[in-house]
Amino acid sequence: MKAATWTGVNEVSVEEVPEPTLLNDHDVILKVTQSVTCGSDLHLLGGYIPFMRAGDVLGHEFIGEIVEAGPAVRHRKVGDRVVGAPFAACGNCWYCKQEEYSLCDNGNANPGITEGLWGQSPGGCLGYSHAMGGYAGSHAEYIRVPYGDVGTFVVPEGIDDTRALFASDAASTGWMGADLAGTKPGDVVAVWGAGGVGQMAARAAMLLGAEQVFVVDRVPERLQQVREHVGAEAIDYSSTDVLAELRERTGGRGPDVCIEAVGMEAHSSGAAGVYDQVKQQLRLQTDRPTALREAVMACRKGGSLFTLGVFAAMVDKFPLGAVMNKGLTLRGAQVHAQRYIPELLERMERGELTTEHLATHVMPLSEAPRGYQMFKDKEDGCVRAVFTPGS
Amino acid sequence: MPLSDILARAAGLASEAGSGALKQLQHVRLPGVGQASATDDPQTAARRWRAVTVLTDPDQLRSATPAPLTRFGDRVEIRVTPAPGGRGAELAARFREPVGEDDLGELRSALRETKQRTETGEVLRNEPQPHGHRAQTPQGKALDGMDERAAKEGVL
Repeated sequence: MKAATWTGVNEVSVEEVPEPTLLNDHDVILKVTQSVTCGSDLHLLGGYIPFMRAGDVLGHEFIGEIVEAGPAVRHRKVGDRVVGAPFAACGNCWYCKQEEYSLCDNGNANPGITEGLWGQSPGGCLGYSHAMGGYAGSHAEYIRVPYGDVGTFVVPEGIDDTRALFASDAASTGWMGADLAGTKPGDVVAVWGAGGVGQMAARAAMLLGAEQVFVVDRVPERLQQVREHVGAEAIDYSSTDVLAELRERTGGRGPDVCIEAVGMEAHSSGAAGVYDQVKQQLRLQTDRPTALREAVMACRKGGSLFTLGVFAAMVDKFPLGAVMNKGLTLRGAQVHAQRYIPELLERMERGELTTEHLATHVMPLSEAPRGYQMFKDKEDGCVRAVFTPGS
Repeated sequence: MPLSDILARAAGLASEAGSGALKQLQHVRLPGVGQASATDDPQTAARRWRAVTVLTDPDQLRSATPAPLTRFGDRVEIRVTPAPGGRGAELAARFREPVGEDDLGELRSALRETKQRTETGEVLRNEPQPHGHRAQTPQGKALDGMDERAAKEGVL
């Protein structure tokens, strides 16, 4: 079958690879209909997460049809149209029972790597390096999903593929940020990053009752999408002082909830951005936390901050003093998609949550290298490149 | 020595280096990395209880030695206690006599396997996976070595 693979730093190829097979009784195999680039893939692509092996199949946000199911699969059947969760989660360990699926004790087949890095191993993520389990990803004609009953969700007929696709990760991650940050009616929420996840976090905050929602970015097409499709207020950080702007618009308090949806390759036009770039290139820090720092400083006293952007290891000049003295609650997580996908599909069916606008560039899988290049460079207003392996 | 043999030997060394690096990572004490790792001397390391929490009734684990642990025979002591907060059972094991890193790796792997079999009925596999051409670079072979060793390493 054809698959898009990582072949080196900033290199993506389309190769002929073997088809996946059922390896465990709870597995299902999907024929992938759509699979989409995610901002977190760029960290793999750029070599910032050094656990990729040449030839690894990329992709973790996808929709498809079940073509094979293991003998222990009870609630899915061949022919089901399903959206897949990025993280392999067993559904039976204590973490899964708490609905913290991305922390599954039994989802990462390579626990020794992440335990060494972080002290504990989170679950495994499809198409996301050998540190996260070494599973092949979804930018392929077929994908194996471990624990198929837990990791796939039947899509109601009324939702088309492209809308449902984003329930897999962008919408579930965004929703998780707004939910676990404790967004409640009347809150003021600010989101850093107007990519797919940031937009969905903003939309989730609105649906959870936030009275005012801001999204910070610099890319004009993305800020326009925030206004048009999300209904939130856009702040262009390249043309204004974000902290001053937020203070001005919130009666001097700052947002109640701050959601960081940027991650370890944050960009900044100021001195902080140059500082972080230099330190990262010199390997004196692994991640650039520019947006996270700003969110900490913007957040109101006693407010809540959630980091959705992927960070790998260490950051420098983190304002822990502000976190402590302002009494902030700081939280983060990889996506507990299984917890949110059912509700998101219901909201998508009712038309409360639309996502199609994120799919700015839809193309055959054979064009994946071009798709990633456009996505990385934000060329032609690319928000997400969607691959259609069957076409 | 022919060039192909030299390259194969270099790749083998890189793989061993990757496996070794993963072992060492568990003992690194740099700020932010490996903070939960044990720095015990070999004797203490062998005698330290290594434990997993299994979401099951403790009696299920007490009724018989879990299959993955039987291969150690009398070389290990096993302890099962209720976990607090409805988390199930704490299954712990330790060697009676000093052992090397390989034995400790086997024990880690057996404890993880016991937990997975009890909670899910099987051990999750990740090989063979579809993949494209694997360039035989030193970095790639080092990662292969880490991959191979990953189930037996970690802070357990």
